[in-house]
Amino acid sequence: MNVEVLILFLNATLVTVVSSIVVIAILRKQYLPVIRELEKKEGQEAKVEDEDKHIKSNI
Amino acid sequence: MALTIFALVLLLYVGVGAFIARYVKNSDDFYTMGGRGSTLLIVGTLAATYLSAATLLGIAGVSYAEGPLVIATLGSFGAWIGTLLAVVYVGRKMKALNCKTMPDFFDKRFNNKWVSIIAIVIMIVGLVGYGVIQFIGAGLVLSEITGINFKLLIVLFTVALIAFTAFGGMYGVVVTDTLMFFTMLAISVVIAPMIIGQAGFEQMKGLSETLPNFWTIGGTEDRSIGWSISQFLVWILFFTCMPALVSRVFPAKNDFVILKTAIIGVFFAPFMQLTVFIAAGGMQVLKPNITPADNAMIVGFMEFTSPAIAGVGLAALMASIMSTASTLFVLVGFALSRDLYERLFEKELNEKQSLTAARIGQVIVAVIICAIAIAQPSAIYWISIYAGSIFAVGWLPTIVASFEWKKMNSKAASISMVAGVASFILFGELIKAGIMTLPTGVDELMLALLVSVATLIIAALVTKPTTYELNYFTEMKSTGMAKITIQEFMKQPDGLQKIKKQYKQIITVSVLFTFISVVVWGYFFIKLGL
Repeated sequence: MNVEVLILFLNATLVTVVSSIVVIAILRKQYLPVIRELEKKEGQEAKVEDEDKHIKSNI
Repeated sequence: MALTIFALVLLLYVGVGAFIARYVKNSDDFYTMGGRGSTLLIVGTLAATYLSAATLLGIAGVSYAEGPLVIATLGSFGAWIGTLLAVVYVGRKMKALNCKTMPDFFDKRFNNKWVSIIAIVIMIVGLVGYGVIQFIGAGLVLSEITGINFKLLIVLFTVALIAFTAFGGMYGVVVTDTLMFFTMLAISVVIAPMIIGQAGFEQMKGLSETLPNFWTIGGTEDRSIGWSISQFLVWILFFTCMPALVSRVFPAKNDFVILKTAIIGVFFAPFMQLTVFIAAGGMQVLKPNITPADNAMIVGFMEFTSPAIAGVGLAALMASIMSTASTLFVLVGFALSRDLYERLFEKELNEKQSLTAARIGQVIVAVIICAIAIAQPSAIYWISIYAGSIFAVGWLPTIVASFEWKKMNSKAASISMVAGVASFILFGELIKAGIMTLPTGVDELMLALLVSVATLIIAALVTKPTTYELNYFTEMKSTGMAKITIQEFMKQPDGLQKIKKQYKQIITVSVLFTFISVVVWGYFFIKLGL
């Protein structure tokens, strides 16, 4: 096995692996918490709407 | 055939320029295509900018003569990582700060004329020195193939380039770059595999017997590992803040486009380069002793593929020249019209005047560059020696410190930029004159970078940032592409669902391209390394 050839193709693969890791890290750090928060908010709003509908239907 | 392809490619660019002009309604469209760049366009323009004429000629020549590992293993690796940093770190941050050109950032961050002037001078000298030499070199090769007089060829190129840079601005460049990207991709997916197939992996591996060290990082010239590490540093530092790459992020539609580009665009950097370098190595089996070695790939597609495919190869070579030249024209033109004329001279222009100024800037730059390319003054060769690395020693420490350090201020920026560039040229000249010698593996770039960083830290510690600089730093830290993109999406109906869809898409893209990368490079390793 030619180790230097291995380093070349390992580097070429590593670039895509590193870029994927960096991008996923950005997504998890900067987007995921906001998505969860917004989901929670939407969930709460939907719950309030349901309760409103329920109260109105009872009335 | 060569003449027909030459004429067709030029006509295509003029046609695209004329077509694109109708979409350019204001200066925003001209400078950043109105922030409408899709993933395809941004990946296309980034990859086309990355693959310059130097890859197809000069570096392919080194791969042919000394072995494909010499520059690719560490030098190109630095360029690939540098491209990633240019997109995801520098470009993404500057885009969030609403920069339309890179000097815009210096202007916004420091609000100091001297810092802006130094930054603009570094950019113009760096781009002209780096781009014009490639324009001249590739033009000479093309002139030989087509039989067209070199001067006439440069004039024809310039006219075609004016057609889409002056009318289409960045819009024209991004669209034509994407067209060029597909032409260049033909070299990697059609021509290179054909050459490698004809040469044969076993025969290529066997080159080590006739050309000792052909499959080593040192290559047949037995270059030191210090030289290779130095190449890695040069390329990573240069590419991280190279305006040609960073400015490609500015037209992106949103952060999701930038993040997808960071994966797909960066995948194409090694894909397009390595396949060419390996094929250039294969040419050593098919036709040894090509002189000059820079012509290895041209001989490859002219003599070892069918005439139709050779035509595509020729078009790809032209595409690489046009892409390099259009980037040079458009960015220097922007520096002239926007950074110098509008901002530094504080001209109050309305939209129409601003667009006209931008177009006039393009024509002026095109005429000047055309004149330099034809006259080939000796000064341009001298500038080109330093031009490639001028951004690394001049801009990079200032940009990073501006992003991350609260104490960073205009005095530190000015001193660091001037000291970095001046020491780089001084060390280079002293080494050339034999007055200064450096140990193996250490070069003037490393020393100049040290000077640039040291002067920046000292100057920032002994001086104080202004209230404006402190306020802008706070504002900058609270601004990010993610925040802007989320706000934009949430204004749309079903905004959250759209964000979640993009999120999942990007995860899929990253998994897919990692898989493709493992398969492609794993295959080459099995064939050439085992």
